[in-house]
Order: sequence, then C-alpha cells, then structure tokens
Amino acid sequence: MATTFEKLRAGDAIDGPAFAVSRESIRLFCDASLDYNPLHLDDEYMKGSFGKTNFGGIIMHGMNNFGLISRMITDWAYPAGAIHRRLETRWVKPVRPGDTIQPTGIIKAKQVTEKSRWVLIDVVVKNQTGEKVATGEALVEFPRDLFCQ
Amino acid sequence: MAQTQAFETDFWKDANLRKVWDDIVPGEPRKTIPYTLTKEAIELYCKSVGEDHPIYFDEAYAKTTRYGGLIAPPSIHILLMFSCTPADDWMRSPGTVNAGQSWSYNIPARPNDVVTLQARALDKFIKRERLFVVHDNVFFNQKGDVICSGRGWTIRPM
Repeated sequence: MATTFEKLRAGDAIDGPAFAVSRESIRLFCDASLDYNPLHLDDEYMKGSFGKTNFGGIIMHGMNNFGLISRMITDWAYPAGAIHRRLETRWVKPVRPGDTIQPTGIIKAKQVTEKSRWVLIDVVVKNQTGEKVATGEALVEFPRDLFCQ
Repeated sequence: MAQTQAFETDFWKDANLRKVWDDIVPGEPRKTIPYTLTKEAIELYCKSVGEDHPIYFDEAYAKTTRYGGLIAPPSIHILLMFSCTPADDWMRSPGTVNAGQSWSYNIPARPNDVVTLQARALDKFIKRERLFVVHDNVFFNQKGDVICSGRGWTIRPM
C-alpha cells in the first residue's frame, strides 16, 4: 500500500531491489549509458594502477549504483503521488562482477515549506557481505495536490 | 538509432586530444551537442538498471498519470551526459574515476525530446595526491525547460 506524508516517520525503511552484477550487466550499462570507459570493460588496462589506486579488475560504473537507488526512490514515490527531486551519492567501495548489491533507504526527516512537503531519505547500497559500496541522500516531494497512480 | 551508431565507443581513440587536468579551466563552457532522446534509448537504459515501471513503457497507463504520457526515469541524465558531449570531451578520458554526484530533478525527459546541455568544469583541486575536477551540468528540453541539473566529482587520470 502506498505511503502518505502524514504516516511517514523518521526511521521508516524503504527496501530497494537486489541487483546481480556480472560482466554482462556492466557491458549492458556501457551500451545504455554510452559510458565505455575502459575501467568497465578492459581487463588488461585494469591490471595497472591509477595513481595510488589499483582496482585489480574491471569495476561496475558508479552511476549504475545511482540508477539503482533512483529506481528504488521512484518505485516508492510514484504510488504515493510523490516526486523524486534530488539524489546525492558518494561511492565508498568498487563493485565487481559476481557481487550482488542492494539499495535501502531510511526516512531521515520531513519538512513543510510554503508551497509543498518534503521527505529526506538516507540511502545506502551494500554488497552481499554487508559492506557499504555507496551512500547518499535523496529528497522526495509530496505535493499538496497529490496525484496518486 | 543513427545517433547511437555514430557514437565512438573506443574511448582510447584520439584520447591525446582531450584536455588533461592541467588544461581544464574552471568556468569555461564545455562543447555540447543536441541529442534526440528516443523511446528505444530510454528502454535500453531502463533494462540496464532493471526499471520496469509502466510509466516508462505503457503509453495508455502513462496517460492516466500526472505526466500525461511516457517519461524517462530521472536518472536518464547518466545517458544524456555522454550523448550530449562530443568525442573529445574530457569526461571520456580513459581512467576517469567517478567520486560522487548530486542531481536535482525539475521535469521529466520524454521520448523524442531534443535535449541540450550547458556544462562546465566548476572547480579543480588536489587532495591526497589525486587530481579532482568538479563539473556542473544543466539539461534542457526543446522548449528551454530545465529537465535536471547536477554536479559531479571526478578523479582525473594521471
């Protein structure tokens, strides 16, 4: 059942979709995003070091995390007639083929402004061992003229 | 589709023509190109992140929503960043590492929108021996309405 602004409380959780990362999923994201940086597809190149960093193999696009978090937010917001307004993220650890990642959200705060109503959400993406791979914050608007779908 | 076929997927090609950290001037506009966002490109992006909401695929359903028709997911700017910039843009430099992003969403992009980008490096700095650039981007539709705006932090290859 869709949530409402009135019912939401700090600490309420949003569960996002699990996402299995593979060489194929990374290649598909290359084709869909047009981001063909060799970080994501060139095994030989990834044997090298990047300044002080060595990834030890190809890595998933950081923006694949971003897209997955955004999908969680919109799938939660649309049924409530709410609108995904902002997302800020930081990448904490690289994600590799074979990993399974999953975003979650925790309601942090609600705020009412002169013309609308807003919900701040802490987001985190964890891998299959529970390590944080990305963190961030989302902002969702609950307009007063709700148009539920 | 023609746009996708014309896209150079070998980011090594002409890599020496792209600006390195030293060349990037904060405040200087980046070259950008208009891009027609197709339904097929939206569907491919949706597939890549598992988006399955009918508002992106089902015209009849989408007409019943506040948007009155099909839209793209907010995060479509991930595709637009590369489709609206030319092959010599420094965002394509092999080894560019994305450190984080923040995006604000105004109105959704829609199939057949002709999207334009205003973009620039906003800042550059050195931290823990790494070379950072902050980039600042605003996407518009063919009516001049802001679709979304965002900022990203990248670590430049050395």
